[in-house]
Amino acid sequence: MTTTSATPRLAVRHLTKRFGALIANDDVSLTIAPGELHCLLGENGAGKSTFSACLYGLLQPEAGEIEIDGVTAELTSPAKAIASGIGMVHQHFVLVPSFTVLENIVVGTGSGLRLDMTAARGRILDLSRQFGLEIAPDRLVADLSVGEKQWVEIVKALYLGARLLILDEPTAVLTPQESERLFAIIQQLKASGIAVILISHKMNEVMRSDRVSVLRKGRLVGTVTTKDVTRDDLTMMMVGRPVAQVHARSKPGAGETALSFTGVSLAKGGRTHLKNVTLDLAAGEIIGIAGVAGNGQDELLEAVAGLVRPDSGSIHLRGEDIGALSVHDIARRGVGYVPSDRFRDGLVSDFSIAENLILGQHWDERWRSGPFLDETATRRSAEQAIASYSVMASGPDMLCGRLSGGNAQKVILAREFAKARHLLLCNQPTRGVDIGVIEFVHGELLRKREEGCAILLVSEELEDIFALSDRIAVMFRGEILGIFPRHEADIARIGPLMAGHAHGAAA
Amino acid sequence: MIERLGYRIEPRSETTARGRTLAVGVALAASLVLCALLFLAVGVSPFAAFQSLAQGAFGTWRAATETLVKATPLIFTGLATAIAFRARLWNIGAEGQVFAGAMFAYWCQSALAGSSAWIQLPVIIIGAMVGGGLYAGLAAILKTRFRVDEVISTVMLNYIIVFALSLLLLKGPWSEAGGFFEQTAKVDPGSILPILFDKTRLHLGFLLALIAAAFVYLMIRKSPVGFEIRAAGSNLRALEVQGTNSRRVILMVMLISGALAGLAGMSEVYGVHYRLKAGAITSYGYTGIIVAILGLLNPWGVVIAAILFGALVNGATFMQIKTGVPSALIYAIEAILLLFYLAGWAASSFKLKRIKP
Repeated sequence: MTTTSATPRLAVRHLTKRFGALIANDDVSLTIAPGELHCLLGENGAGKSTFSACLYGLLQPEAGEIEIDGVTAELTSPAKAIASGIGMVHQHFVLVPSFTVLENIVVGTGSGLRLDMTAARGRILDLSRQFGLEIAPDRLVADLSVGEKQWVEIVKALYLGARLLILDEPTAVLTPQESERLFAIIQQLKASGIAVILISHKMNEVMRSDRVSVLRKGRLVGTVTTKDVTRDDLTMMMVGRPVAQVHARSKPGAGETALSFTGVSLAKGGRTHLKNVTLDLAAGEIIGIAGVAGNGQDELLEAVAGLVRPDSGSIHLRGEDIGALSVHDIARRGVGYVPSDRFRDGLVSDFSIAENLILGQHWDERWRSGPFLDETATRRSAEQAIASYSVMASGPDMLCGRLSGGNAQKVILAREFAKARHLLLCNQPTRGVDIGVIEFVHGELLRKREEGCAILLVSEELEDIFALSDRIAVMFRGEILGIFPRHEADIARIGPLMAGHAHGAAA
Repeated sequence: MIERLGYRIEPRSETTARGRTLAVGVALAASLVLCALLFLAVGVSPFAAFQSLAQGAFGTWRAATETLVKATPLIFTGLATAIAFRARLWNIGAEGQVFAGAMFAYWCQSALAGSSAWIQLPVIIIGAMVGGGLYAGLAAILKTRFRVDEVISTVMLNYIIVFALSLLLLKGPWSEAGGFFEQTAKVDPGSILPILFDKTRLHLGFLLALIAAAFVYLMIRKSPVGFEIRAAGSNLRALEVQGTNSRRVILMVMLISGALAGLAGMSEVYGVHYRLKAGAITSYGYTGIIVAILGLLNPWGVVIAAILFGALVNGATFMQIKTGVPSALIYAIEAILLLFYLAGWAASSFKLKRIKP
């Protein structure tokens, strides 16, 4: 890191951003030196995204000033932010799939009507060589892997002259190996004096930064030099209290087979989603599915839930072939399904908590009195669920669209756990939720397992998988490339399989 | 442009009911001003025009009941549209379903001409619901089986049925023997909807419309069917993931919607005109869409909006006689009301923010 006497690359003073009564950023001040890797850490809703959106000109703060290299910047639009030397790589890439890499990078950069493509190509090649980003300018973006798309985004920012690069949860979509590559690139960026802001909540990444600024409820709790603190210190700063470690658990019971896949395959829209999947899950067992998103995990769970029909193979639930059963019939057999996209698949945003808790069971006798829904009964059960899942809500009538991600997830868990007498399908149960909720979800899943429920768990967070699973299966392009008992599984074995390198792996 | 004045338009994170009422209220007041300008443009004092409009609509017992007569078909079509729109099914086909209801009711009833009213009245009511429902169900099946957008299919079906009726009336089996116009003969007296009050034209159809509104209210608000309709309107996918067959929901909503629209046709034919002709049942379906939106897709809101529209149409004739304002101006007023209302509604989701002077 450079000395503090130099002009900081970025100086933010007393930045405040309000949304109505909510203060998303409250008097936040921080400085970042050239060549510094600065991590923004905080729970969801702590104000990290708001802060970076203000820097990138997407939002205008009510108060405060931003200086770049000692010059006050008026960041009223992304165009002005870019002109001031700020670049941002969003979590969801903003690339045109049908354009080439070169076209994606130069689009919108030309002055006047002409674009000097030859010069642009030259600069792009220079940049990629300088920073170790291997990109071919003439490939179509649609053909690139997720990791390569991210490189294109980075090169694009550099091409536009970024001296400060904001990376918003950059590793969320990457395999462990791709993440390593990214950090190597970040080292190169630092070496050339570019400052990097990393937004992340993965502790192992946070610990590789130079300094960390921790946000909590919109306030800056503090900025610390990373090598002076431990992970626990940072977690304390972030959550405001010590976090319990995951509980000890019993040995997996040798229960009867709850769920079995036999040679299940599924292709849809020209893509293979499931390829000859064979897997047995016992009662009281948790199998964790590791894999990069989009490798068939969603379809695996949806096939069990009855939302998609496999092309071949069979799925048995407690000995019964469920291939021809409807979603409703499968759910009635004691299967709960926690979908990954909770606001798309799991909840009706305009419905109250009480209504969402009976979604799909609204014809059941117990929720009805005569031809009408029994509001007393649904409300009473909602009050119980709110209490036992500690949902932060004003009451059973609160609309689910107004709940935070974590609390919305709790509503889904309450409904699905009640349904899951024998089997629980759980997709990304901790995505986008606070550490406190993660802790809670882990505890509940283990409790459910103790009750003898079989659990099929899909998560992109390897921490979930390692903390909870009895066995870990790795999926790649619809295929299960390996299954390991938890004590035999580690990143070194699982990582290559996640990237599709099957050699040397035994199942 | 507005930024040059030192302001910026920003979306509101939350719109309060009070803010929304205020915005809509201001917009409606503005629309009255514009209507007043229209009256001035045709050389009539706006005050006299509005006064005669109100007098024509509600000035006497007879006028008030006549307003309700005009409102009756709009209540049915407004409810039909509201229930479909609640489920985010854009049924633009109430117009055609009104025709289908009237035609199916007529077909059933004409076979029973001469029998007691106790037989004929239930037959025309059920016949209208079946006819309208089936015609809307066609669009539902096109949507669920062949992914035909319901906006397209319902609009197309509207055209088809108008021509079908014309064909039946012109030279077909339904044309009045020796008649000159495109219409059926007068219907059997036993099939006529009873008049509710002496010396008025207010008929049983109005009562049925109020019952339909109460039914729709209870269904949407309290029943599992309404639960599905409201869920479908917000997130059909979640409903499906939770095990509800979305095709069933779509079909059900369209059947109910079409049945309600069909009642409008029956009510006009057997309550007002006593014969089946296109002129008796035209345009209620389209006006019903406006009524449903002004009524906030709420059943009681629909009743109020329908009565307002009935009043406008009814008062317009009186206004024309008394002040000479062409009654066609009423359609302009209806459109102005709707546009300002929608503008007020949309504006309430935004705010003006002062940026640096």
